[in-house]
Amino acid sequence: MEHIRTTKVEQVKLLDRFSTSNKSLTGTLYLTATHLLFIESSQRETWILHHHIAAVEKLPLTTSGCPLVIQCKNFRIVHFVVPRERDCHDIYNSLLQLSRTAQYDELYAFSYNPKQNSSEQVKGWQLIDLAEEYKRMGVPNANWQLSDANRDYKICETYPKELYVPRTASKPIIVGSSKFRSKGRFPVLSYYHKDKEAAICRCSQPLSGFSARCLEDEHMLQAISKANPSNRFMYVMDTRPKLNAMANRAAGKGYENEDNYSNIRFQFVGIENIHVMRSSLQKLLEVSGTKGLSVNDFLSGLENSGWLRHIKAVLDAAVFLVKAIAVESASVLVHCSDGWDRTSQVCSLGALLLDSYYRTIKGFMVLIEKDWISFGHKFSDRCCQLDGDPKEISPVFTQFLESVWNLTEQFPQGFEYNEAFLLQIHEHVHSCQFGNFLGNCQKEREELKFKEKTYSLWPFLLQEQKKYQNPLYNPDFSPELTLLEPNTVSFNFKFWRNMYHQFDRSMHPRQSVLDLIMNMSEQNKQMEKDIKELEAKIKRKNSQSDAVLVKEPLQSAPPAPMALKTSPCFKKEQPLMPVNDSVRTIEGSNTADNRYSEFMEEFSKAEPAVVSLEYGMARMTC
Amino acid sequence: MLGSGAKAAKPSFVSYISPEEIHIKEPIEKEVNPRLLPGELLLCEANTVYKYIQEDGSNRGTYGKLVCTNFKIAFLDEDSASDDNEPQFKNKIVGENDITLQCVDQIYGVYDEKKKLLTGQLRKYPEKLIIYCKDLRVFHFCLRYTKEEEVKRIVSGIVHHSQTPKLLKRLFLFSYASAAPNNTDGRNQTVMFDTLEDWRDELERTKGNVKYKAVVTNEGYRVSEKIYKTISKPPYELLKTDDLSSSLPSLQDIQTAYTRFKQLFLIDNSTDFWATDVKWFSLLESTNWLEIIRRFLKKAIEVAECLERQHTNVLLIEESATDLCCVISSLVQVMMDSYSRTKSGFQSLIQKEWVTGGHGFLDRCNHLHKTDKEEAPVFLLLLNCVWQLVQQYPPAFEFTETYLTVLSDSLYVPIFSTFFFNSQHQKDTNTTGESLKIQSGPFKFLTVWDWSVQFEPKAQALLSNPLYAEKPKPDKSQRKTTRFKHQRQLSLPLTQTKSSPKRGFFREETDHLIKNLLGKRIGKFINSSDEPHNSFREFYDSWHSKPVDYHGLLLPCIDGPEIKVWAQRYLRWIPEAQLHGGGTIATAAKILDLMEEVQSLQVKMDEEHSQAISRDVQAVPMLRNSARLSSLFPFALHQRQSIKPALPTSTWKDLEDEDDLVKRDDEFVDLTGDML
Repeated sequence: MEHIRTTKVEQVKLLDRFSTSNKSLTGTLYLTATHLLFIESSQRETWILHHHIAAVEKLPLTTSGCPLVIQCKNFRIVHFVVPRERDCHDIYNSLLQLSRTAQYDELYAFSYNPKQNSSEQVKGWQLIDLAEEYKRMGVPNANWQLSDANRDYKICETYPKELYVPRTASKPIIVGSSKFRSKGRFPVLSYYHKDKEAAICRCSQPLSGFSARCLEDEHMLQAISKANPSNRFMYVMDTRPKLNAMANRAAGKGYENEDNYSNIRFQFVGIENIHVMRSSLQKLLEVSGTKGLSVNDFLSGLENSGWLRHIKAVLDAAVFLVKAIAVESASVLVHCSDGWDRTSQVCSLGALLLDSYYRTIKGFMVLIEKDWISFGHKFSDRCCQLDGDPKEISPVFTQFLESVWNLTEQFPQGFEYNEAFLLQIHEHVHSCQFGNFLGNCQKEREELKFKEKTYSLWPFLLQEQKKYQNPLYNPDFSPELTLLEPNTVSFNFKFWRNMYHQFDRSMHPRQSVLDLIMNMSEQNKQMEKDIKELEAKIKRKNSQSDAVLVKEPLQSAPPAPMALKTSPCFKKEQPLMPVNDSVRTIEGSNTADNRYSEFMEEFSKAEPAVVSLEYGMARMTC
Repeated sequence: MLGSGAKAAKPSFVSYISPEEIHIKEPIEKEVNPRLLPGELLLCEANTVYKYIQEDGSNRGTYGKLVCTNFKIAFLDEDSASDDNEPQFKNKIVGENDITLQCVDQIYGVYDEKKKLLTGQLRKYPEKLIIYCKDLRVFHFCLRYTKEEEVKRIVSGIVHHSQTPKLLKRLFLFSYASAAPNNTDGRNQTVMFDTLEDWRDELERTKGNVKYKAVVTNEGYRVSEKIYKTISKPPYELLKTDDLSSSLPSLQDIQTAYTRFKQLFLIDNSTDFWATDVKWFSLLESTNWLEIIRRFLKKAIEVAECLERQHTNVLLIEESATDLCCVISSLVQVMMDSYSRTKSGFQSLIQKEWVTGGHGFLDRCNHLHKTDKEEAPVFLLLLNCVWQLVQQYPPAFEFTETYLTVLSDSLYVPIFSTFFFNSQHQKDTNTTGESLKIQSGPFKFLTVWDWSVQFEPKAQALLSNPLYAEKPKPDKSQRKTTRFKHQRQLSLPLTQTKSSPKRGFFREETDHLIKNLLGKRIGKFINSSDEPHNSFREFYDSWHSKPVDYHGLLLPCIDGPEIKVWAQRYLRWIPEAQLHGGGTIATAAKILDLMEEVQSLQVKMDEEHSQAISRDVQAVPMLRNSARLSSLFPFALHQRQSIKPALPTSTWKDLEDEDDLVKRDDEFVDLTGDML
């Protein structure tokens, strides 16, 4: 609180960054310990979590006041005009302080209290059980076992404790191999395909330099290929561009020499590094933030940013991986430099393409827990949770979500979850409201006792899963272990409007077919219910008297046939993320924030709902 | 430049086969004969022609017979003879391997692996023939195994009949009309606007009869100069004039952009395809086609704003008033008048604005190959713009994108008169006029709006949008209260009389205006008000902030990212773009399933009410159980499999592109050891 110089400024204007007219909303700006709050004269509230603030900028003074622009990690950009320069300066300085956190226990997750008791808290953390997940895949088995080598994070600090390795990989081999790998991240199992008996394994780059070799590491790879009875050959995928990998040799790192390893096929796939990705996103944001963007400027900006090309590269790599497993039954070892960015992307997307379980709501949570959280994707550094090195920030996880979104666009029936689910996860990766994504690795999380002090996000998402359900989902579309074959032609990669313009009112689409379908399904459910009621009534009537039936009917039934002709379901816009103020399960963050969902809610207020949705929705937060 | 293609032929050609590679299948013993339409004559044919399945650069293909008639070029193989290989969505007139003569865009011959454009007289005969079609199909025929005389005959026949200038009377349209037995009068509900009654009804419908009346002033086509169109309200109010020739891209711009744009989709082989894929977005940008679509949509919003908000009449000016005017006035009506979003309404609109409105289809499509200079895809531009609206607001339209796609294909099917005249006048003089050799009096032409000519009911079902929300018929009690609003809303957009230039029904009051405008381009001085550009955006924003009414005003979002490529039309023949079990068709299938569920539930409910009234369910059987439909449905081609894990070629290109290390300075951060 000591950072807050001013807690309240009146007569502040909020501008729409895409509107060409200079219309603005006037209201009062408040600073709390956790949020920036703007209340319009119409009582509409905009909440911005301090942790979400990526940058604050003060623009030169104008006649109407001092402009203050705030850019958030969830791609919200707000443009305030504060009447007095002095106030603006105070807010600016306060926000600079508040948006920077020095240590974990100052993060919102440590003060956030969702009114759960401690047993609920524990249960929440137990919701995702990775041991259970490996069992589901079919390990341990005759070829793969759980290793206790990393019991006390002795071999690798950034790996989890429980690691699955080939049975034939003895402890000395593991230790030897880990010494030959960057950050000790030796090859371990990420996904096991029980039909093909093939595995996705992951590790970091070898410390091969120009000529070094390590027998244990060679044995390790051999053990992996031997653990696959259907194909003795295995692929080693270096997800980096070849030049990057070659450059690393000068630093004593590098890539596997095919001659030293038996039965491997080596392959570069050319995904760029975190710095390229960071600047690419920056360029994309510049393009998408342009007012009145023409098609040509958009297209050339998109091309120059390279952003969709990078998303494509990630998916191409995943497709390569998946084909090796599904078509050739070959195991694949994936690595990049340290094996926590590109490797996480490719392994998790590969698994998602191979296994329909990860296309369900619960399964997607498991996938993130496994390939991202437990294997040490550096969420804290990449998302800048604590004030740190700006060069460590990179939208690697955002790219993963965007790849998944592109897949959901290509296969509307293949996924149980919808876009809102992905957006919500993205929101909380940056919100620091839940413990899941805090820190850089499991060891750190244990030391800081996150599980005791914070809450897990997943039970909250599950609780409100109805709003994350894709109405087009067809479980028969992809039975267990059915391969999803995406098309990675550039044309098929789309700009993710609802991610990058989620908070830009004037950019929202006016309707969504999915919402219509959702309403139709609801309508059908309602009709089924009515039929049951009617049937029950008929039975009752029949037992009383047969004659009354014909006269009575229509009163009890809703005028459904009429309803279809005029298609009431088309009249009402359902929000992408339905909103209901009465239930607030996740509280604290921005309770009202101009996003798409709220925008749509206004419409539904304007026009009384014909189809009443039964479910009460929790408010979306931050 | 116009018409000849902005992009020159690709420099080299990859030959797929060498003779020894081919294992010659038994040439067809069974004689296959082309199915001919009434009036269709076989002109020449060639046997043992090898047609490649062009997708993957392998030399797979089939042998068959290539024929040329006065209607089409057709390839006949055993499959087409057996007929059990029926595609699901079949055009009854133009088969999968048929190319109408008007649909041929360009023909290339391959000589010693070099591609050469074939236009007129040929001295040497090619070993391969590549036919690029206006509906974006590409056919590759190998003639190496064909007898020499047959090659000569078929190649010169095809080139002559599809690429050289032609007389109007030689169009297949006329042979068909005189040979086809009693053509059905398929006007359905489409208003053809060829009688005074049609115009009166339209004024009645749009409540324009208060201020306007339909007048015959152009009996016998006396007023011939076409100069303007008007969308106007009461006669003595404000009038804003907009000179489209100065505020929109020219016909030449449109033609150049489209020529470049279509090259992106006329793919010879997968190598070409991956080459374009690498720089897809900038290639798309360089065509400028999407930007032109955006400019037209924007102009239409501006006009709509004048009518809706400023209550100003708008006079659209263009030299001939039959090109850009048609696009803008049609678009404005689609946006403002929900009747234009129904199938019959849209068809009537096209009759009104384009067919009787005097759009020169014959010249713009270059159907007669008289000159390339007049060619410009103006009507296609309209369809592209409407498609943008359809995909932004699916429930607002009674028709689907498939409807628009087959409509665009119908531009090249010369059995319908709709798109084969420059004006009503031309049609009339050619139908009735010099009663040459015709014994049976005036021709009776088919109209494209009779969809049953081209499609079976099963296929026609795909043209109707299951999501369309019909306009609720207001009951009488409601009418009173809503009347004012209703009328206002209708009166603005709909009170549109149009001066059909040749057979116009001008308003008397504006006759003097015509004289004043003749010969002058007055746009500039009237246009001086030059509305601030913001007002259009403001108009859009304020409309956007209100709930959408599918039967009211509909404005497209024209932000760069929202203008998209009409994938169904342009990518449908490219197997590389195919998604098995994916794409928007999956959504459509789900909707149909749901609709059926609703209907069966309703039937069930009705039954429960003892009166079982079963309603007709217009199901689309081919969409059922459609978990794995191709995204290119209903136009899907053959499946294609790649076995080995491989990176797409475009990625390979990137990998091979080893620019110097200096450019990769980012990676040097990597070397400092703290990066991944």
